[in-house]
Amino acid sequence: MLGRASSKADTGEEATLESCLHRVALGDREAFDEVYGQLAGPILGVARRVLRDPAQAEEVAQEVLVEIWRTASRFDAARGSARAWALTMAHARAVDRVRSADAATRREARAAELMVEPPFDQVVEAVEARLDRQRVRHCLEGLTELQRQSVTLAYYGGYTYSQVAHLLDTPLGTVKTRLRDGLARLRDCLGVGG
Amino acid sequence: MDPEVHSLTGAYVCHALEPDERAAFERHLAQCPTCAAEVAELQETAALLASAAAETPPARLKAAVDARIAVTRQIPPLVDHGPLRASARPPRRRWFTAAGWGLAAGLAVVVAVLGIRVGDQQNQIDQARQHSTTISQLLSAPDAHSDSASVSTGGTGTVLVSRSRDEAAISVAGLAKLAPGKAYQLWMIGPSGTRSGGVLPATASDSVVAHGLGDARTIGLTVEPAGGSAQPTTTPVMLLPMPA
Repeated sequence: MLGRASSKADTGEEATLESCLHRVALGDREAFDEVYGQLAGPILGVARRVLRDPAQAEEVAQEVLVEIWRTASRFDAARGSARAWALTMAHARAVDRVRSADAATRREARAAELMVEPPFDQVVEAVEARLDRQRVRHCLEGLTELQRQSVTLAYYGGYTYSQVAHLLDTPLGTVKTRLRDGLARLRDCLGVGG
Repeated sequence: MDPEVHSLTGAYVCHALEPDERAAFERHLAQCPTCAAEVAELQETAALLASAAAETPPARLKAAVDARIAVTRQIPPLVDHGPLRASARPPRRRWFTAAGWGLAAGLAVVVAVLGIRVGDQQNQIDQARQHSTTISQLLSAPDAHSDSASVSTGGTGTVLVSRSRDEAAISVAGLAKLAPGKAYQLWMIGPSGTRSGGVLPATASDSVVAHGLGDARTIGLTVEPAGGSAQPTTTPVMLLPMPA
């Protein structure tokens, strides 16, 4: 399983999360409370980053958390961590929503805003996220400017890579490559899968 | 391997591909274990980007989620018909049953017609009940995508797939009538192999619902002996890529 080898001092957390998810699959509401406690913050946070609108972000978070309850038995630890399973789902849902019909105009309006504000200044501090935030911030700072902008716009902004290329006035192929090598460098910096 | 396609791992993980590119990339992923491993690692990395954005959820979120899960039935634990793994368990139990789009009546009967061994009878009935709602849920899934393909001997196949739900519904229409003793059989085709998706009932205008898509990327349709075959024995009359 791909773990978070050198991640937080909580390597026990992932094991707990996965065993909790297993119990959730068996209908254990207390285990779900534990999963909720660990994942609701990141799920809401990523939805909020992508969607901006707090009400829509809460709707997406609600859908994803219910989906975790519903499909807990489909989680396959051989394919990755429980955290990645849940947060991949959350990000996908948020992006789906941002790409829905009314999104185009809103994205235009957001573009300038995203470009001028440092991404982390927009985030409400949450105690449990501080460590992740510090590490991610540190590692993002280690990227090239183009890598950082590409990853930030695509992941947090919910833009397609061709939109990112347009926003950054950079060739498509370059953005494609920067997304890949930017994430790979983050992976190495964060000690994922090590 | 096309290095151009391979380099899309980052964009894929960020959900930054257009739907058609995403589908093409997933077809590539199915044949590229190196890419799949890289995607898995980058997904773990992206999960940390999400964690770094964590916010303290309002109490009303917990209340809303609790209220909904109290009335939400869980998908049964995958003991016998779980997602396909590389270690490949026998294909017979992985999936399952048929229904018309939104057709609730007679589901248990259809299960019996397909003769699929999904476990004990109660389990079959539970599954059938669940499938009646599965299709409507699939239709409303935010990431639901559909695609169609022609059947070379006449007719069309359509798939409605939601990767987040790990489910798909396959519908066929206008299929050529087969000689006695022959039947249409669906296949789920992925990098770890080809498994049966079940033999279509003689009046094949219904839909088949697939749970646990696993790594299957393509739906195949072949003509087989009436009881169905363990693996395809004829050239597929339809190959339908599943959209992302």
